Amino acid sequence: MSEQVSQLLDSLRAKAERGELLYIGESVVRVDSLEKVLGSPVYTADLLPRGTVYAKLFHSSVAHGIIKGMELGAAKSHPGVMGVLTSKDIPGLNESSAVLPDRQLFADPVVRSTGDILGAVIAETLPAAADASAKIRVEYTGLPAIFDPLEALKPDSLKIHDKGNIARQMKIRKGNVEDGFAKSAIVLEKTYRTQFQDAVPLEPEVGLAIPEDGGVKIVGSMQSPHHTQAAVAKVLRLPPDKVRVIQAVTGGAFGPKSDETPYDVCSAAALAAVKFRRPVYCGMDREDSMVMHTKRHPFVISHKTGVSREGMLLADESKIVGDTGAYASLGVFVIVRATFHTVGAYEVPNVKADSYLVYTNNTYSGSLRGFGGPQAIFAFESQVEEIARKLGVDPLEFRIRNMLIPGKRNATSAVMDASCGLPQCVEKAIASSGYREKAPRYRNQSGDVRRGLGIALLMHGNSLGPEGNDYGAVHIQVLSDGSVSVGSGLTEYGTGAVSGMMQVASSVLGVPLSRFKLERPDTSKHRESGPTVASRVVVIGGNASKIAAEKLRGRVVPVAARLLKADPQDVTIADGLAFDRRTPSKTVKWDEIVAEAYRVGVSLKEDGFFMAPDAPWDHEVGQGTPYLQYTWGALVVEVEVDMGTGYYRVLGAHAAYDVGKAVNPAGVLGQIYGGTVQGLGYAMMEELIHRDGFVVNPNLGDYYIPTSMDIPADFRAHIVEVPGPLGPFGAKIIAEPPIVLPGPAVRNAVLNATGVSVDDLPVTSEKVLMGMKQKAAAGSR
Amino acid sequence: MSKRTITLNVNGTDHPVQVDSPDRLIDALRDQLGLKSVKEGCSTGDCGICAVLVDGKLVNSCLMLAAQCDGRRVTTLEGLLEDPTMKRMQGSFIANNAAQCGFCTPAMLMAAWDLARHSPEPSGDEIKVAISGILCRCTGYYQIIDSVRQGCRREPR
Repeated sequence: MSEQVSQLLDSLRAKAERGELLYIGESVVRVDSLEKVLGSPVYTADLLPRGTVYAKLFHSSVAHGIIKGMELGAAKSHPGVMGVLTSKDIPGLNESSAVLPDRQLFADPVVRSTGDILGAVIAETLPAAADASAKIRVEYTGLPAIFDPLEALKPDSLKIHDKGNIARQMKIRKGNVEDGFAKSAIVLEKTYRTQFQDAVPLEPEVGLAIPEDGGVKIVGSMQSPHHTQAAVAKVLRLPPDKVRVIQAVTGGAFGPKSDETPYDVCSAAALAAVKFRRPVYCGMDREDSMVMHTKRHPFVISHKTGVSREGMLLADESKIVGDTGAYASLGVFVIVRATFHTVGAYEVPNVKADSYLVYTNNTYSGSLRGFGGPQAIFAFESQVEEIARKLGVDPLEFRIRNMLIPGKRNATSAVMDASCGLPQCVEKAIASSGYREKAPRYRNQSGDVRRGLGIALLMHGNSLGPEGNDYGAVHIQVLSDGSVSVGSGLTEYGTGAVSGMMQVASSVLGVPLSRFKLERPDTSKHRESGPTVASRVVVIGGNASKIAAEKLRGRVVPVAARLLKADPQDVTIADGLAFDRRTPSKTVKWDEIVAEAYRVGVSLKEDGFFMAPDAPWDHEVGQGTPYLQYTWGALVVEVEVDMGTGYYRVLGAHAAYDVGKAVNPAGVLGQIYGGTVQGLGYAMMEELIHRDGFVVNPNLGDYYIPTSMDIPADFRAHIVEVPGPLGPFGAKIIAEPPIVLPGPAVRNAVLNATGVSVDDLPVTSEKVLMGMKQKAAAGSR
Repeated sequence: MSKRTITLNVNGTDHPVQVDSPDRLIDALRDQLGLKSVKEGCSTGDCGICAVLVDGKLVNSCLMLAAQCDGRRVTTLEGLLEDPTMKRMQGSFIANNAAQCGFCTPAMLMAAWDLARHSPEPSGDEIKVAISGILCRCTGYYQIIDSVRQGCRREPR
């Protein structure tokens, strides 16, 4: 035993000398790995009790219109059908909205998109519900519809909502752009467009409602159970405590499950459960999900950018238009993040931005990993590339000259402090990719197959910032068997962030994560912790977890000291073993300390609550410090293009992200790999196509996402650690950022290989080929 | 539609199962036999997360009718939990952080196990091909590929 302790002491001492903490920075096994590799029945659809019946949502078949009548008779008399729910069956408020009250659960009488839900068929079996829903006939008075956000923005445009077509407006006024343009040697104006992206969590939106205790118990797939509770309670006109929401293990989320769709499935199931006194499962299939849930907003972004002869950015004026479809959803915050990131990771002394979140009759957009960042950074990183080319400067050197470093100011005039790790990220990604050696070689190619390098840089404001109160609550209880039970309203949906949050407590308590258990988030047990969005679990939840664990340690250490007959100040707990640092030969086990605490009545329960400081900014000019810290990143991709067909592949990706402190490096790498590949999908192939308001490819046969055959053969991910001021141990967020850069990096790489600028995502081979043909035609004229 | 009784040999045991003609294999496995490791992600054969082995071949159980499997051998993850190769593969998935949301994990494990049976030292390309029918939206595949490579090795190194 003493040998074990002296080894522990040695390793702790060595860690302390390196400035490291117990467990933090170790790739420990997630608390929820085992259930996943065992295929355990832990997801919502696995948990249906006997006697469960099914709710199938049905939606509008026009993009804009007024419902004249619904013929439900045939559906109702279909074998196995118990009933059809429409707006008339809602006892409470017919509303299913996250921020602005602009969206009904069951549209009535106005429908504004083909994704508008009209009601639900309830049947004993899923096939019966599906077959019956196909028999529903709805008659509409058609209304003219708008599918182009620029059209919807015109003052004389028809109004999709009474208040007009602008759901949210924002601006930035930094310096004076006219002065900047006057001093510029080159002024470049270009417009960039992005597409609808579907998040495609492999588990679509699903909810199960069970009548219970004068109300309803809901088990569902979601990011924010307390918000779902509030939404369902409003629809059912029940007090919130009669709506108990439990988050089941969730099979991917990526944003839409923090938005309004979980409200829809859970509300429909709950309505039916209360009405029919049966457990009701409302599960979207893939097509339902791709039609009815929120997508990534398409943006139209115009930049006018001025640069000096010396290659310094002087001014940028942008107009940012986001198509939120028929409803605002969390889009009201997406547009804010996009605006604050309008000139990305660069210092531009004069910035003017005007942004508009605009209603159209497309299906609605909302929260999706990156949250406005991918669109804004695609536009500006493309613009930066174009300017560098126009100046005849290497795009890397141009970026290095203008990028944010400590002391420089970003678009909101926030001064970058020592926590800005962008230069280190650039250095890592550039060295890894061999850019300096390859770029000159690739400049003058003439073959049928050509290569190109593309760079993009990232600034990503951390956590909620301007999107609301940024807090988290974590409850930790040491059970009498010595295991540590952690509960929070913050949820796990795949990233491992909740494990990271628990790893923080594990470090503070000196107990390995393998002794920790995650409680299922449950509104009847855990306090509301704000939404689980913005990659904020490790940073905000981690702080709450640290606070709770420190309080618990304050209770445990005196008990250990008594057992060791030591001064509490001299007691260390590490790897589940407590010892007196002066006489380390004597030890007590964690379980013995816990047993003693229980014996003498020391309570081993604590709550930790953390609220981020204010992030003040002036709404009139968009200036201030809307974010308390930033994640930094750099990505270099290398493409190979077939000049005859436009077909291209990404051969290599070299990514470096400054995450402040990698709490679990394997988890951080998982986010970098996964986010980058999802971003490559956005860059290269993914587009949910709307035609006259109808989604024409709502299935995974026609909407492509990357398979294992599509990923770059050579992917190098580098973790940079420049501690930030906000997160525990300096941690910064990482789940969202990696999805942002592939769009512009791929676009710029293709440009450098072919000379073709593709200004609208995705960069498909067809667009590359068309661009090459146009260039050839222009050259021969 | 009339019910008929078929026999599915699932994970080594014969089960009489009552099926309607449109019932898919995934329905019989999940709803009647309670094998919840089999996941449904698209219902159109595109995502592959419902993959199981039928007579030793990896198939999408959402694209096969249950009645087509009358008298055939079906293997799901539940049937391989004691298998040494599968245990090694599961351990490798855990060690390499290959399961994020976990929804594709059972199918990935089935594909990986199928590969490991034939190929103890698969190349990266062989692994990519072996799992190419199964979509994962979380991991970008890299940590899965590392896991499969390690899990295929019969001797630990």
